[in-house]
Amino acid sequence: MIAKRQYNYSDLTTLFCVMILMGLSVLVVYTASSSWALQKFGKSEYLLTSHVFKVFIAIVVLFIGMNINYQNYKKFTRGVLIIAALLLLFTLVLGDEVKGAVRFLRFGSIGFQPSEFAKFALIFHLSTMLVTKKESVLDFKKGYLPMVLWVGIISGLVMIQPNFSTSSMILLISFILIFIGGIRLKHIVLTVAPLIPIVLIYMVSASYRWARVEAFVKNFSSLLTLNSNAIKESGYQLWQGIIGFGNGGILGVGLGNSKQRDLFLPESYGDFIFSIVGEEYGILGTLFFMTLFFLILWRGFKIARYAQDDYGKFLAYGITITITVYALINASVTLGLLPTTGLSMPFVSYGGSSIVFSAYAIGVLLNISKQTDLHPKLSRIPVVGTINADGRINFEEK
Amino acid sequence: MINNKKYLECTQAKFIRSRLRRILFLKAALIFGLLIVVARLIQIQIIKSSDFKEFARKQYEAKIPLPANRGNIYDRNGNILASNTMFIDLAVDATAISKEDGLKLANLLSKVFNKPVQSYLKILNSEKQFEYLERTVSPEYRKYFEAEKIHGFIIINQPKRLYHYGTVGGQLLGGTNIDNLGLSGIELFANQYLRGVNGYMILQRDGYGRARASIDYPRVEPENGKNLYLTIDLAYQSIAEEELKRGLEKAKADAGILVMLKPATGEVLAIAQCPSFNPNDFSIEDISNQKIRAVTDMFEPGSVFKLVTASAALEHHLVKPEQKFNAENGRYNVNIGGRKFRLITDTKPHDFLTFQEAMEQSSNIVMAKVSDLVGVDRFYTRARDFGFGVQTMIDLPGEVKGKLKKPNEWSGTTLNTIAYGYEVGTTPIQITAAYGAVANKGILMKPYVIRKIANEHGEIIQESKPLEIRRSISEETAKKLSEFFKGVVLRGTAKTTIIDGICIAGKTGTSRLMIDGKYMQEKFLASFVGYFPAEKPQVVCLVMVDNPRVGGYTGGTAAAPIFREIVNRIRMTKSIFSNGNNGVMAANHTTNKSVVVPDVANLQLSIALKLLESQNLTADPIGTGKIVLTQEPLPGDSVMAGSKIKLIFEKKPEISEGYHLIPNVVGLPLRRAINRLTKEGFESVIYGSGTVISQSPDAGQVASQKTVVSIICSDNKLVGKMQ
Repeated sequence: MIAKRQYNYSDLTTLFCVMILMGLSVLVVYTASSSWALQKFGKSEYLLTSHVFKVFIAIVVLFIGMNINYQNYKKFTRGVLIIAALLLLFTLVLGDEVKGAVRFLRFGSIGFQPSEFAKFALIFHLSTMLVTKKESVLDFKKGYLPMVLWVGIISGLVMIQPNFSTSSMILLISFILIFIGGIRLKHIVLTVAPLIPIVLIYMVSASYRWARVEAFVKNFSSLLTLNSNAIKESGYQLWQGIIGFGNGGILGVGLGNSKQRDLFLPESYGDFIFSIVGEEYGILGTLFFMTLFFLILWRGFKIARYAQDDYGKFLAYGITITITVYALINASVTLGLLPTTGLSMPFVSYGGSSIVFSAYAIGVLLNISKQTDLHPKLSRIPVVGTINADGRINFEEK
Repeated sequence: MINNKKYLECTQAKFIRSRLRRILFLKAALIFGLLIVVARLIQIQIIKSSDFKEFARKQYEAKIPLPANRGNIYDRNGNILASNTMFIDLAVDATAISKEDGLKLANLLSKVFNKPVQSYLKILNSEKQFEYLERTVSPEYRKYFEAEKIHGFIIINQPKRLYHYGTVGGQLLGGTNIDNLGLSGIELFANQYLRGVNGYMILQRDGYGRARASIDYPRVEPENGKNLYLTIDLAYQSIAEEELKRGLEKAKADAGILVMLKPATGEVLAIAQCPSFNPNDFSIEDISNQKIRAVTDMFEPGSVFKLVTASAALEHHLVKPEQKFNAENGRYNVNIGGRKFRLITDTKPHDFLTFQEAMEQSSNIVMAKVSDLVGVDRFYTRARDFGFGVQTMIDLPGEVKGKLKKPNEWSGTTLNTIAYGYEVGTTPIQITAAYGAVANKGILMKPYVIRKIANEHGEIIQESKPLEIRRSISEETAKKLSEFFKGVVLRGTAKTTIIDGICIAGKTGTSRLMIDGKYMQEKFLASFVGYFPAEKPQVVCLVMVDNPRVGGYTGGTAAAPIFREIVNRIRMTKSIFSNGNNGVMAANHTTNKSVVVPDVANLQLSIALKLLESQNLTADPIGTGKIVLTQEPLPGDSVMAGSKIKLIFEKKPEISEGYHLIPNVVGLPLRRAINRLTKEGFESVIYGSGTVISQSPDAGQVASQKTVVSIICSDNKLVGKMQ
């Protein structure tokens, strides 16, 4: 048996999907941000320039990730995760305060969100741990506890920024990963159960957080039936977001014709960019975007399934889940199916750190696919004979 | 060892299988989530899309009304009776205004208008896209708000009705409400023509409520209301009102009604009413004084109804004018069956009277006797032929048809009673029209007030032509009746009406007022209806005085003198007599009289000449030119009729065709200022009301016709005191 196979080609479907998403994001961010950029910075291209630059970095980073053998990460993930944790600590002390939360770390003119970095560092390390521990993941002390400790540290540090939504996402994705890694459900229940009261206390501790949740729970059934008052009560941003989707209808109002971006929809270029997609391109646009994410999901799972080793498998699952779950939750939030939280849509929303780290993660995924035979059934067909020079098959007796 | 290895392999297999199951579960969950998102997208973007499109449209667009100008109302000579002045409305788009701005605005409004802040905050906190904060306030207020750039705050120019002559023709013109819709009078009747169609402008807004005009949304210009040209003569109307008021004051009467028609055409020249009503005062809440009683109220006419009795008798040749009747010395007991008698009395007892004398002296007894000769059916038909009991269909709101019982409803005494004007309800307009028919050689004309309706460019939309309703009586009967009526004035009950040099025909009437079904002993309705000059009647006029208390209660003593004063005055004006061929207006009447010099400065020569002519003055032009610079003697001076007025012309170069000198209107009362500008061919935009305090462009400049001159008036009442 061959230990390592180099197939030398990445999964083009995934690559195309991501490239299309990023390409469209330039268009959408431009239309969505121009009015706000003019309002806030006095220049309608201000946010676009910054976004184009980040997309460019993201593409570079993607190709770097694609060309580094993922096997090499195994040795560093622990160290990188420690760095990530330290960065998060630094952020708490030195970070920029935006809207009452310290989420950014600034190096000169470049700012980035350590939480985005930590998210992927954690997934990489969890994959390492799942592989090195193998069956001992079933053991509480040896397997489960070290992983959960890391999850706890990282998500805890993010939560006290405070960044509830990213922290919850880190928790959710980490647990999904260790869940499919084979951890005993018993252990998960054991750790999650005592967390519930903590989470509740955390939510009650800030009145705005609780008010949001309360309003959401109260209005949920009315939200499902699109009662306009219920949507308005759930927040101005959501109301404007849904108007955007609805106004787009089937065909949309057309490229650059969005009106919601004219200072009606706050953060129209950020967390609620999907609404602008819906407004300008209609349901055709939104379904197209969802299809792209579905393709990433499908190919990602396929890569994971056929990955040549467990490390690649877990990494591929972790990366795919991160991207798709983010997309899904972001879409659900903008559609009023989940409470409004500050989550971006991967590759589409304006926002530097997210797009760069996500692109690198996709690069890694593609590197895994490079070393993976995505059509293993074909290669498994037993050799039954050779073809003669005259075109005849010589059957071999075994 | 082997067991151990097998066990290990077994658990490994189990472990891998469990992982596969979990991955499958995860996959299913993710796809399920995706499907939910897709379903939601379908729900929002397809199923409920139209709802949100509507919400979106509402928040992108701000509809700003562009009010149409209400049409002007002119009298028969082109004098403006009602036009518009500009006020402003303050409104707000409560969805666009920010909290801080709202608070600031509410405080400002509260300071300026002296009202509690809370009342404004209530509007500002509503979710309405358009709501008025203050309406019809002086444009002076604009300056308080223009300095503050508040998004969502709207100032709208609001034309408001201006009645140039106040109470003159008050009820007739009627009033308008705050939305500029007619409430009464002609304003109500012709509201559909006058109001025009409001336009609007749709502005595009952004999320901060800033609005900008957009070519995507065309501006719909308002269609201005049509102008009305009435048959009313402003001079007659004001004279009628003044004299009616004076007469009522003299008699200490409660109220008075006057109707003046042109008998040949049915054109209403004046409808006056006392107490008067000023439609500029929209705050007046007593609407009972706003109706036009000449058409809405009916009265028992008393002796003026003897017209019907006499004309029926003459028409059917039942009685000759010189036929004698026993007037029973003022007391006549009529047997009304069995031993029952009914007493008919005359104010003045007579023994024997000819039919004509009976009319002149207004004998009830003779008329009752004549009515017996006429009979029920002929009487009823004659009354109907004169238009009693049916509406005249005059173009005024609220007309009633009066009350004329059908013959089968008549009791045994009705015929005798109705013969001198009881048991019948008539409106003043019906009586005037009926006498008009006599004056018009027996042909009843439909009375009308609106002569024509034209749009703002002068194109005629609708024009009323004189309409013959029917021949009420033969020309011969009309002639005989006219003799009777002349006799009434010359020898009879209306001797108070005799005027040298003009022959008046008329009939007095005195009826007891019925209040709550009972005739009052002390309260009377005195009336006089007449036409003149009797040979070629130009005007028919009814004067009704309600409850005169001093100086006699009869038509001859209370109503006829008012009629005389009116005739005296209107024949001094540039009247419809001048183009008639009657020589009744003897020269000796005017030459001895002093007249007031009209103001002809800054007028076109032709207009100046007309004005002078109307006052029996002649012009003495000095220099040449089109526009009079000054005059001598100055306006307001009294000179003898027939005097020459020097007209001094511009020395400046000729003003080319179509150009005019802008007159100085500063210091003039608003209505005079507007008349002045209108006569010069300028249009005017009026701010406020009262006396003109400034104008733009300034006087003395030469401007093309149709130039809009803005005039700003002091308006003490509306500007109020501002700290």
